[in-house]
Amino acid sequence: MDRGLVTLIGMSIAYVASLLGMGVAWWAWRKRHRDNDEGNQ
Amino acid sequence: MANFTALDWFWTGAFLMLMVGGAFFFYRLARRSESDFFLAGRGLPWWLPASSVFSTHTATDTPMWVTGVIYAHGLRGLWYTFFMAWTAIGSFVSARIFRRSLAYTQAEWQVLRFGGLGAELLRGWLAGWQVFMNMFILGWVGMAMGKVCEMAFGWPVWVGLVVPTVITAVYTLAAGYWGVVMGDFLQGIVAIFAIVVVSAAGIAAVGGPDAITARVIELGDAWRLDPLAFTGWFTGDFPAVWWLTMLVIAVIGGFGMGTSIDWYVEAQRIQSAKTVRDATYGLWAGGAVTLVRNAVWAVGILAFFVLAPNISSAAEYELGWFRLGFELLPMGLVGVFFGALLAIHLSTISSHLNLGALYFTRDIYQRYLNPQARERTLVWVGRAATVVLLLGSFFYGLMMEEITQWLIFALWLMMAGIWLPNILQVVWWRFNAWGYLSSWIANLGISWLVVWVLPAFGILPKLPDYLQFWMLMALGAAIFIPATLLTKPEKMDQLVRFYMMTRPLGWWGPVRREAARRGLIDEKSIDASEPGGRPLIRRSWTAEQAGEWTREDWIVIVLSPLVFAFILFGLTKLLLLQVSGLWLVLAAIAGAAAIYWVIDPKLRAVSEEFETTQAKYLEELERSVRWDDASSTVEG
Repeated sequence: MDRGLVTLIGMSIAYVASLLGMGVAWWAWRKRHRDNDEGNQ
Repeated sequence: MANFTALDWFWTGAFLMLMVGGAFFFYRLARRSESDFFLAGRGLPWWLPASSVFSTHTATDTPMWVTGVIYAHGLRGLWYTFFMAWTAIGSFVSARIFRRSLAYTQAEWQVLRFGGLGAELLRGWLAGWQVFMNMFILGWVGMAMGKVCEMAFGWPVWVGLVVPTVITAVYTLAAGYWGVVMGDFLQGIVAIFAIVVVSAAGIAAVGGPDAITARVIELGDAWRLDPLAFTGWFTGDFPAVWWLTMLVIAVIGGFGMGTSIDWYVEAQRIQSAKTVRDATYGLWAGGAVTLVRNAVWAVGILAFFVLAPNISSAAEYELGWFRLGFELLPMGLVGVFFGALLAIHLSTISSHLNLGALYFTRDIYQRYLNPQARERTLVWVGRAATVVLLLGSFFYGLMMEEITQWLIFALWLMMAGIWLPNILQVVWWRFNAWGYLSSWIANLGISWLVVWVLPAFGILPKLPDYLQFWMLMALGAAIFIPATLLTKPEKMDQLVRFYMMTRPLGWWGPVRREAARRGLIDEKSIDASEPGGRPLIRRSWTAEQAGEWTREDWIVIVLSPLVFAFILFGLTKLLLLQVSGLWLVLAAIAGAAAIYWVIDPKLRAVSEEFETTQAKYLEELERSVRWDDASSTVEG
C-alpha cells in the first residue's frame, strides 16, 4: 500500500479517537456548567 | 526454523514462570488505590523507573528496527537510535517540571498548565490520542512477536501476536503498575543478558571484532564503520541535513513534553518515582542503558551483515539479530534466548496496556464520566480498559505489514507539526490552550496535504523525511502562533499557581514578577550575598535557591547529550577494538561523574523542598479531578 495513504489512514483513526475524547470533555464541561447554573437559580 | 529441544522448552517455561509469577506478588498492593494501580503509590527508588524505561523501550520490534538501520546504513545508522537522547536533557528539565506537577498523565498536565474550556478539551483530546496510541503500539509490537514466532517455529502470525500478549495481560490486570515495574526489572536483566550473549555469538561466528572490520573493508563497504559517513549535504540516503534534523529533534526535544512518543510512557515512570531526584536519575539511567544496548546490538548486527551481506529485502534483513540467536546459539541456550524474547515482549506490552488504561480511567472515566467514583471502582475500570486495549491491539497488529514503515510514520511524521508546541507549552508563558489545541488539530490536515494529497496530484514532489518534518513544522507554526496571539493569555492566577508548583524553565518573566509581587517568591533570599561570593559550582543550596534555574543546570544540560553520544559511539568502537572507543568511554564516565557532582546537591535540595509541599498539591489534584476545585487564586 502507498506509504502516504497508510499515513493518512493511521492518522485519521488516531484523530477520530482524539475527537471522541475531546467530545466527551466538551459534554462534561457543558453538563457541569448547566448543573451549576441550575444550582444558582 | 529454530531447533528446539526439551531443554530449550524447559528454560523458556522457567523464565516465563519467573517473569509472570514475580509480578503476581504485587496483586495486594495494586488493588489498594488508583495511585497504586497506575503509579505504584509514587514511591519508587530511581533504579526501578530506570529499569522500566530500559525494558519498555526494548520491545520485540526494537531489534528489527535497529537491525534494519544498521544493516542498511552501517554505524551511521546508530544516529537513528540516538533519538533516545531526548532523555539526556529531558531528565534535567522536563522530568523535574513534570514530576513537580504531580499529574498522573500528560493529559492531566494540560489542566494544570492551562485553564478553562481549552484545557479540558486538550485533556480529552490527549486522552483519546493516548488510548489510541497505546493500542497502536501494542499492535505493532505484537505483530513483531508474531513475525518472530513465524520465523522460529513456523506458527501462524496471529499465534505469536495473541498468545504472549494475553499472558502479559493476566498479570497486568492483576498487579497493575506494581506488576509492570517489578516485571520490567526482572525482564530487563534477562534482556540485557540475551543481547550480550547473542551479539557475542555473532561476533565469534565471524572470527572476532577485528575480523568484522576486515571483512567489511574487504566487501568494499568501509564507510559502514564511519558514524559520520554522509552521502552529501542534501543528497543520497544519509544527507547531513537529515542527521542534523535527527539531532535537533531528539536533543532539543528534551526541553519539552511529548516531543518523542516515548515521553508519554516515561511520564508515568517519572511520576512513580518517590522524589524529583529519583525521577531525574531514573530517566537518565534508563536512557543511558538503552544506548549501551544499542551499541552492543550494533556490533552484533555488523557481524550479521558480514555473514549475510547481500540481503536486499528489508523485511528479511530486519530479522537478522533474531537469526543470530536462533541459528548460532547451542542447545539449551536457544531456550534461554526465546525466554529473553518473551521478557522483552512482556515488558513493553505490560507497560502500554497499563498506560492506555491509565489515560482512559483517569482522564476519561474519572474526570468526565464518573468524577465521584470510588477507588475500587477505578481499579476495576482500569482492568476493563486493559481488556479493551488488548482486543483493539490485535486488530491493529493484523493491519500492519512492515514494522519500519509504521515506526518511521509514528516517530517522525505524526509528531512533526506538534514538536515545537510541545516545547513551547513548557518554556513560554504566553503559549495558551487554544494555540496548543490548534496545533494538534492542524497537524492532521497539513500532514495529509504534505505527505499524500499534494504529491499524489503532482503539486509537490515526494519529499525526503527530513524535509517533510521541517515543512510540517513551519506550516504548523503558521497556524498555532496566530492562534495563540489572537486569543487571550491564560489567567494569571492559573499561571502563577502552575509556576510556583513546577518552577518551569524558559520565558516566564511576567508570571515570575507577579508571583514575587504576591509574596510567593523571596527575591532577597535568593539573591542574598554569600561570604566569599558565589562559588563557581554551588554545592550547598537553600530551598529558595534550588528552585531557580542556574548555571549548574545549564552545565548538565550541555554535558548530558555529549555523554550520551560518547556512550553510544564509544562503546560501539570499543567493542570493535578501536582505541578511540576507549577514550570516548572514559570521557563518558568522567562526564557522568561530573554531572553527578555538579547537580546532585541541587537535586537533593529541590526534592527536599518539594516534599514539604507535595501533600498539599496532591490533595488539590484529587479535588480537581472530581471537579471539586480548590480556589483558583493562589494563596500566599
